[in-house]
Order: sequence, then structure tokens, then C-alpha cells
Amino acid sequence: MDRSAFLDRVRTRLAGTIAPDLPGELPRTMVSGDGRGFDRFAEELAALGGEARSVSPDELEEAVKAAAEGCTRAVLGADLGPYADRVAGGLAAAGCAVLEPGREGAAAADLGVTGAVFGVAATGSVLLSSGPGAPRTTGLLPERHLAILPRDRLLPGLEELIGRLPAATGSASQMVLVTGPSRTSDIEMTPVLGVHGPEHVIVLMVGG
Amino acid sequence: MSARPPGSFRDRAGALLERPEVAAAIGRAMDIRARGRSTVFSGADVEAMRAAGEAIRAHTIANLPRYLDAFAEAADRHGTRVFFAADASEAVGYVREVLRRTGSRRIVKGKSMVSEELGLNAALGSDGAEVTETDLGEYIVQLAHEPPAHITVPAVHMTRAQIRDLFNRELGAAVSDEPRALTHMARRVLRDRFLAADAGITGVNFGVAETGSLVIVTNEGNARMCTSLPRVHIALLGMERLVPSFRELAVLLPLLTGSATGQRITAYLNVIAGPRRPEEPDGPDEVHVVVVDNGRSAILGSEYRSILHCIRCGACQNVCPVFRQVGGHAYGGTYGGPIGAVLAPLLEGFEQAGDLPHASSLCVACTEVCPVNIPLHEHLISLRRDVAATRASAGERLTFRLWGLLWSRPRTYGVTARVARVGQRLLARRGRIPRAPFPLSRWTAGRDLPPLAREPFRDRWRRRHGS
Repeated sequence: MDRSAFLDRVRTRLAGTIAPDLPGELPRTMVSGDGRGFDRFAEELAALGGEARSVSPDELEEAVKAAAEGCTRAVLGADLGPYADRVAGGLAAAGCAVLEPGREGAAAADLGVTGAVFGVAATGSVLLSSGPGAPRTTGLLPERHLAILPRDRLLPGLEELIGRLPAATGSASQMVLVTGPSRTSDIEMTPVLGVHGPEHVIVLMVGG
Repeated sequence: MSARPPGSFRDRAGALLERPEVAAAIGRAMDIRARGRSTVFSGADVEAMRAAGEAIRAHTIANLPRYLDAFAEAADRHGTRVFFAADASEAVGYVREVLRRTGSRRIVKGKSMVSEELGLNAALGSDGAEVTETDLGEYIVQLAHEPPAHITVPAVHMTRAQIRDLFNRELGAAVSDEPRALTHMARRVLRDRFLAADAGITGVNFGVAETGSLVIVTNEGNARMCTSLPRVHIALLGMERLVPSFRELAVLLPLLTGSATGQRITAYLNVIAGPRRPEEPDGPDEVHVVVVDNGRSAILGSEYRSILHCIRCGACQNVCPVFRQVGGHAYGGTYGGPIGAVLAPLLEGFEQAGDLPHASSLCVACTEVCPVNIPLHEHLISLRRDVAATRASAGERLTFRLWGLLWSRPRTYGVTARVARVGQRLLARRGRIPRAPFPLSRWTAGRDLPPLAREPFRDRWRRRHGS
């Protein structure tokens, strides 16, 4: 059915319906910020089976090395900004080879390292955005996902993140807010981590 | 329209009640869900959230033409192709055409109730496409050739041992019945399907009118896979599932996840705005949105309009005492529980699903948990009235007319009660009536009938207080 005929039909059925206004101010929710920053972020992420550390730029290389322990092949997003060299150094120190990014590389890797556009303290979440140097497979296919979050990108709650989405969505074809490991409870309601996405999620918050 | 199995709710429910282990499994799962919901909202003013949710949904539905138009315009700007489908056959026809044109044979699917409603899998299967459900619960019921039994827990009726046997038979595996082992077995099989897929088909939780974005929440990550790996992504959007802008999601998303699974937020919240840009290394080349009416617009002008406010959380199912006994299969269609008992008769017609509004004790638990304050029990009562108006037989009408005449006058009411008190002497055993003649036998087949008191209340009142 063409759009105008479809909409006309809807319009006809709705004729005479009185439309209430949108609520002016929205209430706070359980994912609103509570004034705490990284402590809250780390608590929430740990409760879901993830892990967060706050490090200075000088400590980053060592922290990446620790996060990459046990991994042998990594894919790396080009969205790491000023931290790219230190991340690469940490991976090298961990003995982790770096594969070509994209689906083949990501499918073969056991670690994916991405930047994070924003973090949300109230939920322990990081926002990933696809883009030219940021394939969506990097943080998706490997079993372990390491996200590098700049300290000044940590937001208190979901409202603040949502306020920034319209601007962010203008350029990115896909964004995903990641909150801890992939999970299911589809079999007898038993929680299991690592269904399709990464089983391990580590966030390193970096800043002075 | 997906074919409804033969028989009535009563027949299907009766068969399911013969399997008490099913009711036990569903009851356990629903308890976990209901507990999760009751704790997740602590620390927030849930009534304020519900009021805001209701206002947002009512505003959006009343302005649907404007928001659908804006959604299509905005989606077009980032290259998403929007198709408006008046009914199931148009929707299925469009999906088939996209798949044919792009040479897509291997399809991975994310969870979509609309797809169940359209009977899409059967249609694509008959075209020779290989369709794989990738939500773990949906994958399990697909392997078992069954429809999902619950909105958010599709395999709620199956035990781990049944799932193990199913996997070992269908996948040639030798896996234990540990949920972790079973889950990771499915992960391996489905990972290969994702990487080989030509097209991904998903549902949509919210379409954002302002930006033409698609918002999809999952915990497993299957929607991320379906929308990232294949060359083509087709999203099925019930036409009522829009929000004016991102802003409203600050309330609707926590209402949805809290009500659905007792989670503050899901593991993944995807926001999709069109196909991959030219310089992007991965992502689909084409993104299509099929906006589905399929009977919804007919509800808009009726007293049932607020059923279109539903955000498909399944909370009404979790608390429904009828659903908890029999699960979703008894309802015979895509939507079960209180939401299904309202929606199915409206979408599919009274002929098909007119018995479902009676599958309720009218305890109002559904209305009390609905995150957007849909008066489900009122809709159920109104539907019973509407169904009766169209299908009650002449004999039935006459019976109720006579009954009404007798019981709306104190004298004739008293006469019937006296007759019943004499008659029940023959039937009562130890203060209960275990068996009674037709039509009361319909009642006593399932439970005892309490006999009338020896002395009517009105007599006792007169004796104590005078008239």
C-alpha cells in the first residue's frame, strides 16, 4: 500500500480522537544518575559480571596488558584517539597479535578493543558507535571485549545519554549501548553469560 | 495470518492441564519474572513512570499519522527504505521480493512477535529459504517445531532434559543438560549461521519518528549479529511502535526492561540509522523497514484503542493466574495471556479468537502491572459483551433473558432459591456437591459446587432485625 493511502486509512480511523499532550517533565527512573561517577559505574558493571578499572594514561599500557592476558589474537578499533599507541603497546606486551579489523579478523580474534563514545555510571554501560575506523564486529565477535572510555565521557544516567543520541545518530549508521556480557536465561531461567556477544567485558576508564 | 490450530481455548488448555510439569515450569519462571519486576523498580517512583508511559503512548497513538510520516521522511534521509504494509500478505510479499532481488537464501532472525503474527517463517520456508531463529529460546522452539510459549521466554515450557534430547537429536551433538553447555552448543551452531547469512530479519522495540532510527533491545546479542553481519537487514515494525523522539525513551526503556525481565537495562540497546556508510568496513548494504498494519488501524477508532499502547513486555502474562497454568500455547495464536486475550480477537476476529476474553478470572493483576496502564480487564469485559452480541445462540439469549427476569425480583429470586435448596438435598455429600445434572455438570466436572446455606441470608436478617 502506498504511504499516503496507508496514512489516510489511519487518519480516518482516528478522526475525532483527542490527543493528550506529551508529559512536560519526565520522572526519574531506576537508571537515572545519583551523583556518583566511576564508583557507581564499576559497581554496576561488576554486578553483571563485567569489570571496570580507572587508570591514568601512564597506567594504561599495563592495564591493557592485564586485560589481554590469555588472549592471542586481537582486533583493534581506530577510534581509540590519543590512546591508540598505549593500547597497541599493552597488546604487544601481552603477546597478543593484532589482526586486520573487519568481520574475518574479528571472527578469528579472541579479543576486541574499541573506544567508547560515552559511559553511563548508573548502569555500567558504554556506547559504541560504528564508523569509518570502527567496524561493528570489533566489540561483537571476539569472546572478550575491552572498551577504552575517556574520563570526561562518563555521564551520570540514561537521561543524559539519551539527550546526546540525536546528535550522535546523525553520522553513525549503528550505535549500541553495551551493558556487561551477553546473557540469557532461556533454559529453565538459569543465567548463562556469553551467548552471541562477548562473555567478558572490561572497561578501562582513562584520564588525568 | 498465521494459521490458528483447530479447537478452542478450552480444548487446548484442557490438554495442557494434563501435563502438570508444564504448569509447574511456567509457574516457576513466572515467579522469577514477577519477583524481578517487584524489586527492579525500587528506588524509583514506578507510578509516576507508568503515568508518563501512558501519556506518551496515548499521545503517540492519537498522532500516529503525523509520526509515521515523520518516521518515513527521516528514515529516507539516511537511506533506510520504508514499506507500508496494509496486511500480512503485503508485508510477506515485500520481504519475499527483497530476498529474491538480493539473492538471499540464508536468513537469520532476531526475535519478532510481528513475524509470528505474519506467519513469515512458513512463507519463506516454502520459498526454499533457510530461516534460523537466533534468540536462544526461539531457536529451541524452532528446532522443536513449536510456536513460542511466552513473549520473553519462548521455551518456558521445556525442561533442560528435553532441550538436551532435542539438541542431541537435531544437531547430532552429545551435550549434557547443563544450561551453560546447552547455551554454548547453540552459540557455536548459530555463530556459523550468522557468518554465512545473506539477510537478517528482526523486530523493532521502538521506531524513533524524529530521526527514523530503529531501537532494538536484546540480552544475547542476536539482534546485533542480525543487523551487523548480513548484507541485508529487514526490520518488521508494528505500526503503533513509535516514539516521537529519543527523549521519551528515557522512561519507556526502563519501563520495558523492568517489566519484561526485571532488568534495569538490557545487555544491548541497538540504535540503527540506515545501511552502512560508504566508508564503513562492515554492516548491511540495505536496511528495510516494513511498517505493519494488519488489523491495527481498525482498532484505532474503537474503545479498544489503548491496547495499541502495548510495548510487548509480557508482564501481564507473568502475573496472570490462567496463563501460569497453561502457558502461551493454549491461546492458539501469536499473543497469549491477557494481552493476547484482548489483541487476538481484535486482530483475527471473533470467529477465530472470540473465546479468549473468557480465559481470565478478571482478577485485575494484569492491569495492575501494565507499564503503560492499559485497562486490560476492562477490555476483557467489553470484549465478552461484544462477542456475546455477535455469536450467542437464540437459546442462550432466551436462557439469560429468563434468568434475568427471575433474579431481578426478590420474590421470584426467593422461589428459585427455595427450589434449589430442596433439589440439592439429593446431591450434597458431606457439605459439598461433587456431581450435578446438566448444565451444572459443566462446573462440577472440574470442582465441587458449594451448596446453598440452609437458611437464606434474607430470612436470617429478618429473624434478627425484623423486616
